[in-house]
Amino acid sequence: MNPIQTDIVVLGAGPGGYAAAFYAADKGKKVILVERENRLGGVCLNRGCIPSKTLLHGTKLIKEARESEFRGITFGEPKIDLAKMRSWKESIIEKLSGGIRSLAARRSVEIMTGRGYFEDSKTLRVETAEGQKFIQFDKAIIAVGSKPAMPAAFDLGNPRIMTSTEALEIEEIPQDLLIVGGGYIGLELGTVYATLGSRIVLVEAMDAILAGADPDLVRPVAKYAHEHFKEVRVKTKVLKMATHKKQIQVVMDVDGQKKEELYDRVLVSVGRASNSADLGLKNTKVQVDEKGFIKVNEHQQTSDESIYAVGDCVGGVLLAHKASKEARIAVEVITGETSVFESLIPAVVFTDPEVAWCGVTESEARKKGVAVTTVKFPWGASGRALTFDRPDGMTKLVVDPETERILGVGIVGHGAGELISEGVLAIEMGATVSDLASCVHPHPTLSETLMESAEMFFGHATHSFSRSQHKEESAEPQHAS
Amino acid sequence: MDIRIPRLGEGADNGTVISLFVKEGDKVEKNQTILELENEKAVAPIPASEGGVVSKVHVKVGDRVSVGQLVLTLSGGASSAQPASASQPAPRPAQAPVQAALPAVAAPVYAAPAPMPAAPAPFAYQSALGIAPPAAPSVRKIARDLGIDLGRVRGSESGGRIVLADLRDYIQYLQAAAFSAAAAPQAAQAPASVPAKPAAESIDFSKWGPVTKKPLTSLRKKIAEKMQESWNAIPHVTQNDEVDVTDIMQWTKAYGPAYEKQGAKLTLTALILKACVHALKKFPVFNSSLDEATGELVFKEYYHLGVAVDTEQGLIVPVLRDIDKKSLFEISRELGEIAEKTRQRKVSLEELKGGTFTISNLGGIGGQHFTPIVNRPEVAILGVSRGVLKPVIRSQKLDQRVLMPVSLSYDHRVIDGADGARFVREIAKAIEGFPESEIKLGGAAAKKSEEPAKAKTEKVKAAAGKGKR
Repeated sequence: MNPIQTDIVVLGAGPGGYAAAFYAADKGKKVILVERENRLGGVCLNRGCIPSKTLLHGTKLIKEARESEFRGITFGEPKIDLAKMRSWKESIIEKLSGGIRSLAARRSVEIMTGRGYFEDSKTLRVETAEGQKFIQFDKAIIAVGSKPAMPAAFDLGNPRIMTSTEALEIEEIPQDLLIVGGGYIGLELGTVYATLGSRIVLVEAMDAILAGADPDLVRPVAKYAHEHFKEVRVKTKVLKMATHKKQIQVVMDVDGQKKEELYDRVLVSVGRASNSADLGLKNTKVQVDEKGFIKVNEHQQTSDESIYAVGDCVGGVLLAHKASKEARIAVEVITGETSVFESLIPAVVFTDPEVAWCGVTESEARKKGVAVTTVKFPWGASGRALTFDRPDGMTKLVVDPETERILGVGIVGHGAGELISEGVLAIEMGATVSDLASCVHPHPTLSETLMESAEMFFGHATHSFSRSQHKEESAEPQHAS
Repeated sequence: MDIRIPRLGEGADNGTVISLFVKEGDKVEKNQTILELENEKAVAPIPASEGGVVSKVHVKVGDRVSVGQLVLTLSGGASSAQPASASQPAPRPAQAPVQAALPAVAAPVYAAPAPMPAAPAPFAYQSALGIAPPAAPSVRKIARDLGIDLGRVRGSESGGRIVLADLRDYIQYLQAAAFSAAAAPQAAQAPASVPAKPAAESIDFSKWGPVTKKPLTSLRKKIAEKMQESWNAIPHVTQNDEVDVTDIMQWTKAYGPAYEKQGAKLTLTALILKACVHALKKFPVFNSSLDEATGELVFKEYYHLGVAVDTEQGLIVPVLRDIDKKSLFEISRELGEIAEKTRQRKVSLEELKGGTFTISNLGGIGGQHFTPIVNRPEVAILGVSRGVLKPVIRSQKLDQRVLMPVSLSYDHRVIDGADGARFVREIAKAIEGFPESEIKLGGAAAKKSEEPAKAKTEKVKAAAGKGKR
């Protein structure tokens, strides 16, 4: 069989893969996009960002309805039809996935469904429903993503021990749910299940949940978890799991003390692993690290000159928008530009409240011994936050005291994920605090908290009073609107 | 009491000490010349700003010094030790910064089109957090495409943010520094970030026979730089012609002695200067300059003509001012004076500036047409060669006339060929029809005062008359 010739083959149709394929096609390349699943969009669309946010929206309605009694609005007890909820979620995924397919078609990007396997540095074999196909490419971009990690000790083959993939299917609402891992996946899904009625115990091996974010940003989330989960245990390790009738017996070490408990289901969210295995990389010069992540340079080039890799499969922060940016870098380098990956990647955790940050975090600066000035504007002083009863937020700027350049922005609170982009723009543009303070922000919106925190830096925020300038400790925001 | 190098004039802030007239223990008077400084095109005597006894001399012959540099320390002295008055230059710390070594482009009318940007102080951005220098992603992208390390670029905006203009300035600086590196070895003092121009390979000529090596004088370097710059910047066209100077040669012979009696030498150059002004008035574009920065043509309403003077050290072009307002006698006298001053290298830097058009007369040496290089920022130059007696056919009759070759080079960005030809014809006609009355010296004093207005109309008439002949 004659191999199919193409300029670029992209392996994996997630947010890294389809972004690469579309951009390359827009730049005039002949592109084949290979995806092993029938539905395009990868983990993000099918088993990650999109379904989780869909479910979080559904459960937010339940929570808000429940908490509206004091506002003089009372609803009856919600009836939850899991099947219907699933199909609503599916309909959204289907819509988005179809959208990607039609965008591909309009760009004449050929989609080939099947597993891809590198025969050598120039050939990809694809196992399609119609049999084997061979693609001879000039350049390949690997964007195969990652999958939830499941430690062997927990892998009993029992469907009651779930990863995020299964948890997002919400087959049932377990009465007692153990969540292993206090990262963003555990916290987001914990929020969903808690609202649906599960009793949640969340355990985290480290001494705090959401490691990586500044502790002051995590505090409102931790507070929420303490209120809505049965328990949050830090410094806790799960030692053993066993099937016990219709339940799972779990043995754990809680800060030195052994505990044995029964749970209806367990969600294991302890990280993600690269999907780089079984791609035939051994037939190429591509190298992977000890964790299985593909090694790339700042141009997204692997050790094999005709193969590039982007997204989760190369490690770093495993986020869809990082993959999409890397995809653009790879395509630009292939088409002769001098692009390098140097963008800052904002992080958003869709907990309740949301946490988002970008640039330098306060903890990172402290750890590196770099002097930074921080200003924090508590949302208790935001009129907008009070209108929907969510004063449990905070907007923080990390500033270089010498140049007054904004180095980092951290936000916790309702809609933090939507607000963080202004911080990204400010940092990428090299804005100073004064630049941010000079931009008029509409009232009443949460975006004002960014402007006001910048004003606080100079000690003259309208809704906050500071006795001594530049010292966040003494700033005392007042309620007003 | 310290004596420092005073401000020497615009664009000239350094030079080489070529002679030193005082030594330790000498008594100097205020305004006494203490040393001579060779500076681009001139040798400048440096006076003592105060009087006193020299307790220390801080420079020696051959030193390169810059404005503000300490040269003498005086002790005691009769002068009341007054603090430097406001008119004196503020003493600047002695330095030989890269800025001083860069070519000072004499630009009398406006800033030269591509002035040397001020040398940025060496700058290196540092971030303990490993953050990129503050610049918009688009600016970072451009810098990367151009291979410019943004960490070397000083941002002008708040927080040190680098904008496109900063990047442009930096690149222009690099380019100018690289360009001048060849001419000025001092460029070696440029910041490390300036990529050194690959050194021209030195050929060992002694392989083929004996050689003598002489360092280039600063004047030679300056000429080289200036010529290179003009040649690079200006698309040159040279228009050749011949001017019948039979008649005026006779007149200069006839009236020459009268001029000489009054201390002036009547030369063809003086006549040509006058004729050129007539043509320049008719074709003002030849008296203009192109301001590349603003995209404007600057028409000058004055007629300051440069005259190339051959000196032992090389070519120098002093400028004669307001030719249009002066009589032929005045021009002749001035021309003689300034040429002599130039040969002795006593001409000041100011006297070299502000020209609007240049004449290079090689007639005294011989040779035919040549291609002069425009003296930027001027837009045209007239080269004049020796007149030769030639057979000429006029009205079907053979005649013999003295024909003087002239070569007009001009900036084709500003001037088109047709105008170049018209202009050179206009000059030829003006020379050929030069009115005898303007050459004649009778009642010179009375005539001089009414010269400006009268001269013009007379000349036009004369030229027109010639044309019909």
